[in-house]
Amino acid sequence: MLLALILIPLLTAAVVPLAPKRSVGQVALLGTLVALALAAYLTLGRDWSGPDAGRDLAVSAPWMPELGLVFKLGTDGLSMSLVALTALLGPICVACSFTAVTQRVRTYYGWLLVLQAAMTGVFLARDMILFYVFFEFTLVPMFVLISLYGSTNRKAAAVKFFLYTFTGSVIALAGIVYAAWFNANRVDAADPVAKALVAASPDLVLGRWTFDLASLQAAASRFMSAETQWWVFLALLCGFAVKVPLVPVHTWLPLAHTEAPTAGSVVLAGVLLKLGTYGLLKIAIGLCPAGAMAWAPTIGLLCLLGIVGAGLICWVQTDVKKLVAYSSVAHLGFCVLGLFAFNDAGVQGSVLYMINHGLSTGALFLCIGMIYERYHTRSMREIGGLAARMPIWATFMVFFTMASVGLPGLNGFVSEFLCLLGAFQAGDVWRSHPLTVGGTGGNLGPYVAAIAGTGMIIAAMYLLYMLGHVVFGPLREPHHDEHHSASGGAHDAEPRLPADLTAREIGVLAPLAVLCLVLGVYPKPLMRMVDPGVKEVIAAVEGARTQRPATRPVAEGDAGAAPALATQEAAR
Amino acid sequence: MTHLLSHLASVALAASPPAEGAARAAAPVLGRVVEGPWTAVLIPGLPLLAAVLVALCAAGRVRSKLPAWITVGCLAGAFAAAVQTYLAVVHQPGLAQGVRVLEWIHLSWGEKPGQSFAADFGLYLDSLTMLWMLFVTGLATLIALYASEYMAHDLGAGYNRFYFAFALFVFSMSCLVMGDNLILLYLGWEGVGLCSYLLIGYFYKKPSAVAAAKKAFIMNRIGDLGLALGIMLTFVQFGSVRYAEIFEAAAPYLTLAGEGRIGEIPLLIQLIPVLFTVGAFGKSAQLPLYVWLPDAMEGPTPVSALIHAATMVTAGVYLVARFLPLYQCSTWALPIVAWTGAGTALLAATIGMAQFDIKRIMAYSTVSQLGYMFAGLGVLTSAGAAYHVFTHAFFKATLFLGCGAVMHGFAGQLDLRKLSGVAFMKGWGIVGLAMLVGCLNLAGFPFTAGFFSKDMILAEAFASPTYQALGWVLLFTAGLTAYYTFRVFFRVFIGPKFYEPGDELHAHDDHGHGHGGAHGHGDGHGHAPAKAKATADAAHDFHPHAPGWAINVVMVLLTVGSILAAYPYLISWVPGLIDASSARVIEVAHGGEHAHGTFFGYDPHAVMYYVSAIVGAVGIIFAFVLHFVGRTGAATAKADALLPVFGPLARWAQNKWYVDEFYNFLVRVPLLVISHVLHLADKLLVDGLVDLAGFMPQAAGRGLRRQQTGALNGYAFGMVLGVGVIAAIGAVLLW
Repeated sequence: MLLALILIPLLTAAVVPLAPKRSVGQVALLGTLVALALAAYLTLGRDWSGPDAGRDLAVSAPWMPELGLVFKLGTDGLSMSLVALTALLGPICVACSFTAVTQRVRTYYGWLLVLQAAMTGVFLARDMILFYVFFEFTLVPMFVLISLYGSTNRKAAAVKFFLYTFTGSVIALAGIVYAAWFNANRVDAADPVAKALVAASPDLVLGRWTFDLASLQAAASRFMSAETQWWVFLALLCGFAVKVPLVPVHTWLPLAHTEAPTAGSVVLAGVLLKLGTYGLLKIAIGLCPAGAMAWAPTIGLLCLLGIVGAGLICWVQTDVKKLVAYSSVAHLGFCVLGLFAFNDAGVQGSVLYMINHGLSTGALFLCIGMIYERYHTRSMREIGGLAARMPIWATFMVFFTMASVGLPGLNGFVSEFLCLLGAFQAGDVWRSHPLTVGGTGGNLGPYVAAIAGTGMIIAAMYLLYMLGHVVFGPLREPHHDEHHSASGGAHDAEPRLPADLTAREIGVLAPLAVLCLVLGVYPKPLMRMVDPGVKEVIAAVEGARTQRPATRPVAEGDAGAAPALATQEAAR
Repeated sequence: MTHLLSHLASVALAASPPAEGAARAAAPVLGRVVEGPWTAVLIPGLPLLAAVLVALCAAGRVRSKLPAWITVGCLAGAFAAAVQTYLAVVHQPGLAQGVRVLEWIHLSWGEKPGQSFAADFGLYLDSLTMLWMLFVTGLATLIALYASEYMAHDLGAGYNRFYFAFALFVFSMSCLVMGDNLILLYLGWEGVGLCSYLLIGYFYKKPSAVAAAKKAFIMNRIGDLGLALGIMLTFVQFGSVRYAEIFEAAAPYLTLAGEGRIGEIPLLIQLIPVLFTVGAFGKSAQLPLYVWLPDAMEGPTPVSALIHAATMVTAGVYLVARFLPLYQCSTWALPIVAWTGAGTALLAATIGMAQFDIKRIMAYSTVSQLGYMFAGLGVLTSAGAAYHVFTHAFFKATLFLGCGAVMHGFAGQLDLRKLSGVAFMKGWGIVGLAMLVGCLNLAGFPFTAGFFSKDMILAEAFASPTYQALGWVLLFTAGLTAYYTFRVFFRVFIGPKFYEPGDELHAHDDHGHGHGGAHGHGDGHGHAPAKAKATADAAHDFHPHAPGWAINVVMVLLTVGSILAAYPYLISWVPGLIDASSARVIEVAHGGEHAHGTFFGYDPHAVMYYVSAIVGAVGIIFAFVLHFVGRTGAATAKADALLPVFGPLARWAQNKWYVDEFYNFLVRVPLLVISHVLHLADKLLVDGLVDLAGFMPQAAGRGLRRQQTGALNGYAFGMVLGVGVIAAIGAVLLW
């Protein structure tokens, strides 16, 4: 089943070049719809709230046994929710390109489908090298999409995107390989702790070469010293922080977003950025919880820089697409901040943020793409007051902006508030107030939350500035369109679009709008679904927290803590 | 007359003021919730249904008044449900009732208190809730009816949009007031903000309307941040965001406060209400966040009446009243509320005196009256504050709708120098009469509802030994209020008949835009006869159209409501409701003799009626002499001769004390500069270093190979740089 989620888009991509040019889009749409149906069946058809939910779906086959490589796919509610997001955006990306892309359609849809397969693979991979392969492979289709189908500066943007993220992930690969080496050479399978671990879950491979995610995580989190974890985490951070992106390694994003075709931007904002946060959440923190804890204040600071700095930068943009692109940096700042709170509210909020940002920002890019198709400009100096011309579009635009700004009742609020609450709770300041019941302790705290909270104001400033220019105000349209204003862009080769949205375009936006509303009002099913994955992350960090203090008496420690400490000392 | 006054006063006194220590109802049981009537769900439910139906109308491109009738019908149903729920609630005084609707956000990470987070769509019904919902749904119904005629020029998409936001507003307001937890309150809080944004920006082609809408939303967001942080602190301290559980957890602190040992309450608990206050000041337009409300008058007048006068802006007052137990646990929160309120009341009144746009005058008077309400809360007469909210809702809605009728009938004319004697024109009698009643209320004329409610606040201020000075500020402001209120009435509604249509009729650039918001650039003397003649020519074809049945019916009902709003005072209705809710003022035990403030040795509760009646009358007389006696045209009045006496003060007040400019200079411009610097730094330093190291973006069409080799160095360099920065920060923080 999980394999099918990857294979369906891949097979469709293989069929696409054979299809007649006219029906390429329909074939691609059909393929993505089938994948969506399967993902929906898997997501909705079972209860994901149990700790072992989804285990029966796991797929495992030997790949390169001499290297310990296994083709292992697995899932839990958390991964599945992101797979579902990817599958949902699939048909939307295809359908939004029918009129936007008219040249070299086979290549276009083919790579789009490959991209979907690769992204799905990232979320399902349970072997580190497999994960890395999928992770890196997303770069290729994206590179093609930007460099062939982007706007004026597309080549530069594509190269920049590729090399920037590639360089980062090479360093991450070093971290992964080191972790595997550590497991093979520094972990003794005969160690009582290791034996206890294997006894608890027989699938674990300790003391031998493997890239199995669970095994490496068990080995590294238990046996690696905090200092080593700090370095390994840094290596992984290099790969994932570029993808998120965190300040100061974010500068590839505005350019890539601006130059990418609409579907590219949607995928980029919707899913590709989430590969970074997902990597941090599922790989890095589980592998090096102590390292993650040590890094939390720094990352918190970078998030604040992103939230406030990138937010303010949004406010002075004149290119509407760039504005939304920079807003992703600010939004992902919230997401990562919640993640590094390491408590329920924060991590839940962070996971929800991944989904919600994908929906609302993806939709905003769709809306802007529809404008670009009609006016061939993204400059707020040239277009304005479009509510007068395109009331349906304006309604959607206002709706998704409000979702993005975090208006309660829509999806953005739930995640943003939980991220902030998590950061607020995660302060050691609460430990000194004995009457406080809701603090969890951690490396962030109320001041961090307060500064991040200004991001709510800044978001209102730049998003309403955008609405005020593009949607409201006196109508402004580019001059050359004066005689064709009813039909938008007047380029001969392209099909003419009516002034307001077509039924197809409404069909593209409406599902996202419905989901934004539903997840804002009734997020309970999604929250239950991702809860086990969230608890797993928190448990990993809690484990590191309770293990670390060396002065802790042996009698008080839990079964594995004291011996693990001894091993850590030995490793030094 | 005097006899009647003292008789009425004694009746009222015997019945009411709680501070007198007269018999009070039993204290409410906070922290316990019993099952409430399901019909309460209809109060938010029906407006939501209306919003959905109107949205369907919009999708179906309905071009009739159907959305109006849907909304009016649903809101009337909500009002009926509110009455029914009210009866159920007062049936069990002092006991809050709860209705659970839908699970919303649930998290749990342990069994202990504070280890779970639960925010549901649930209702918390007590007498405070129902007091608010009665006037919210009642007024919303009437104003929706009024708007059916007022907005008729925009039938179609605009009409549908208007009623959608209108119905959504009432739904949001119900969530705000009826929610059983802080998160749902926050939903309503931001929801009303959204509707306010949409409705202020209703005329979205007008740049000033768009700017005003944006300003309102952002100003509110600043307050919302305070509220959000307060909510988080509440959760961290009390382990819950549900009212009942918060009150239960806070009970020990309240006991401490009641015993006069407020100093022993942890500072973090004392900080919660201060953070709430920031939110309240944003939503209720108090210093320093009030500047959005006058600009909000860009919206259609029914919106100004409902949202920006009667209901939404009182949300801050509701928040403080709801959490009065926490406020009473804080040393600073209530003084902050009291003094900010009084300061805002005075400042807004001075600005209101110098404006020429009658709708803006009403807006400033709303800001000023909200200041009274906060001052009332601050001096601990939550009953007085709540009653002032109640009476103000009626008379201010009347005043706004009256102004709206004028605006509607005279093509958008709002300048009081261009209208005169409107009440004597054919078909305008009802509006004129309604305006008279509204003005009397606002000016605090004896026996009006506004008089009684303002009195409760004034008397309590003087009765409190620490707030004597605040009492004087409020009393002085009462005089100013009477003056500027009747300045409008004497100039626009009576006197010689004269009118000049507004700029909705023709391109008449004299009014409205283009003067940086400074209406009245010429103080009235710029209108030479020649110009008056020219405009008279332009207005030659214009005939004001008198209000139709919907507007007149609503005006009559509201006028009657404004008059009858005085009756609850006589039966102490509001104090009874407040005492049975969380807004009840607890009695603080004093170590020694209970200090009691006096007014020149008299009991303030006994003499304030006379004092404020005299102050109000003086204000009205001033307005009469300066703006009515001997006035022959619309443009000028005797008051103009007085202007030199005040020197630059009058001009400064006209320009709103330059607060907007001050904010712009102090906050917006520096922030803009910082943003541009950041953007530049982002482009040049972070990104530019990368590009500098070998990236040739313009070589797009040429060989990829050269480009890649060149760029790889650049990006590797950039990556190393970025990673180095991260590592450096990490190292600094870690060691």
